[in-house]
Amino acid sequence: MEMARTLTRWAYCLPPSLPPSSSCSFSLTRRTLQIRTFSSKITIGSNSGEDYLHLTNDELVKQCNVTTFKVSGPGGQHRNKRESAVRITHVPTGIVAQAVEDRSQHKNRASALDRLRTLLSLKVRKTIDLDGYQPPQELLQILPKVSTIRGSDVGSQIGPNNSKFALGVQSLLDLIYAVEGSVSDAAKLLGLSTGALSRLLLSDDSLRMAVNDFRTSKGMRPLR
Amino acid sequence: MGFLGEKDMFCCLPICSFRFTCSRSRGQIRFCSSSRPLSITTTSAPLFLRPLSHNTTSSHLQTFHAWAKSLAFSSNHPDPPHLIRELTWLLQDATSDPHTSFLQLGTTHPIWRVPLRVELKELYVLWKARVEERRPLQYIVGCEHWRDLILVVRDGVLIPRPETEMMVDFVKEIDGSESGLWADLGTGSGAIAVAIGKMLGEDGKVFAVDLSQTAVEVAEINVERYGLKDKVEVRHGSWFEPLEDVVGKLTGVVSNPPYIPSKHIPGLQVEVGKHEPQLALDGGEDGLHHLLHLCEGCLSVLKSGGFFGFETNGDEHSELIAGLMKTRWSGQFRDVKVIADFAGIKRFVTGFKM
Repeated sequence: MEMARTLTRWAYCLPPSLPPSSSCSFSLTRRTLQIRTFSSKITIGSNSGEDYLHLTNDELVKQCNVTTFKVSGPGGQHRNKRESAVRITHVPTGIVAQAVEDRSQHKNRASALDRLRTLLSLKVRKTIDLDGYQPPQELLQILPKVSTIRGSDVGSQIGPNNSKFALGVQSLLDLIYAVEGSVSDAAKLLGLSTGALSRLLLSDDSLRMAVNDFRTSKGMRPLR
Repeated sequence: MGFLGEKDMFCCLPICSFRFTCSRSRGQIRFCSSSRPLSITTTSAPLFLRPLSHNTTSSHLQTFHAWAKSLAFSSNHPDPPHLIRELTWLLQDATSDPHTSFLQLGTTHPIWRVPLRVELKELYVLWKARVEERRPLQYIVGCEHWRDLILVVRDGVLIPRPETEMMVDFVKEIDGSESGLWADLGTGSGAIAVAIGKMLGEDGKVFAVDLSQTAVEVAEINVERYGLKDKVEVRHGSWFEPLEDVVGKLTGVVSNPPYIPSKHIPGLQVEVGKHEPQLALDGGEDGLHHLLHLCEGCLSVLKSGGFFGFETNGDEHSELIAGLMKTRWSGQFRDVKVIADFAGIKRFVTGFKM
């Protein structure tokens, strides 16, 4: 539930099997919407190789239902109110992201899509083979320069404000899951000290929550 | 207000009186990144374009924020949470910080200097006007975010609505739209015309027409701000009258005309009814007065196969117009469609001239 709280401002997520109306209620009567349901244990996606984050925005949107909040009243010239909240439901995974705080419908749509990418990176797991593991380029890009496997051709380290960060997070979480949550095992494979990898995992709130959620489910101590 | 000097009074002009023309003689400021300064004065410039020539501390801003919030919740305003969202937007425009992070600094770093585009005391005056006079935020900050644009607006010009954003998508979907001649009738702030202008190729052009002199001025500002002077030509006049030279040549005509039935005007949301121009809202007794004129008139200005897109009061009006195109104007339009807005209201009628 800790994760639910951080995501409160951004999005909510529900298992695809549940119809949205039965499990979630939201309202625009508060500054942003409120979230009632969130299960951080859902692991959506599978080994079937869905690679949603590599899709372009247009391709990703094609897999989504994009809706805007139904507003009461006549709208149009009658109203002066930015009721332009956008909700994006990613049909294959049931992940829902929305945005309400921006000043135009256009920007809310873009923000919702960014959030969907973040949620996909946190929620969709791919199984990886640890034998001869080679971190993909997008993961190398989010590693600090001290990593011994990070070549000088990788460029400067990418942070959470970069749109490619989500891709790196997804691969990093795939690895953390593959090593059963062991930070020291993952660190070895990434050419980092355990401390350096911990710092990276703690540097982003959603990443930290996702890792700790997983560790807790395995009966491990959360990172601090 | 007695303690304010002449200069301060002047700063308050945009809220005390709705006239900007009296400030014309004041110094000009550079208004956009283009090389030419526009003829717009410091006081009438939208907040976000004014220089950061004032400053205050984070704790003073925190105090302002707390006061503004409590005013919003203690007022009779029907939607305080929306006001709070607008408060954030006001602070974004008044400072150079889109994240309003100074509000968190108020406690930890109370004397942190925050540059401002208006004096702090004017922020109080502006917010009082927003809450107590129900003055639209867009007139207070002088802009509205619409699609990917930030459009200048001011009193006397309709604030573009989020519903209308869709009109541009209809145009975008039409084959060859980027090279044609377009008209946006009753352009107001120039919103639709500027958005279409941005999509046009070398041979495309939009005529942005409005009867209101204020709208013409504001539309010109927006056209210039987006560097579209060679793509969008603003013309002053009523509907088709300024388009005599292009009769029968237009690829498309779009319009968000006044469509509110006259009897509904007194009951409008206060922000709209009290502050926005009736010229841009009142659609006559049944709300259809201008829409019917547009249907009739577009037949002469459009070339064969030309597109039209009109925004209406919703449901019945859209159905009625679509119906008339099959009966009264039978054989003159094709592929007439009624399209719902994002709230599910049948907001638009689109189609083509035969």
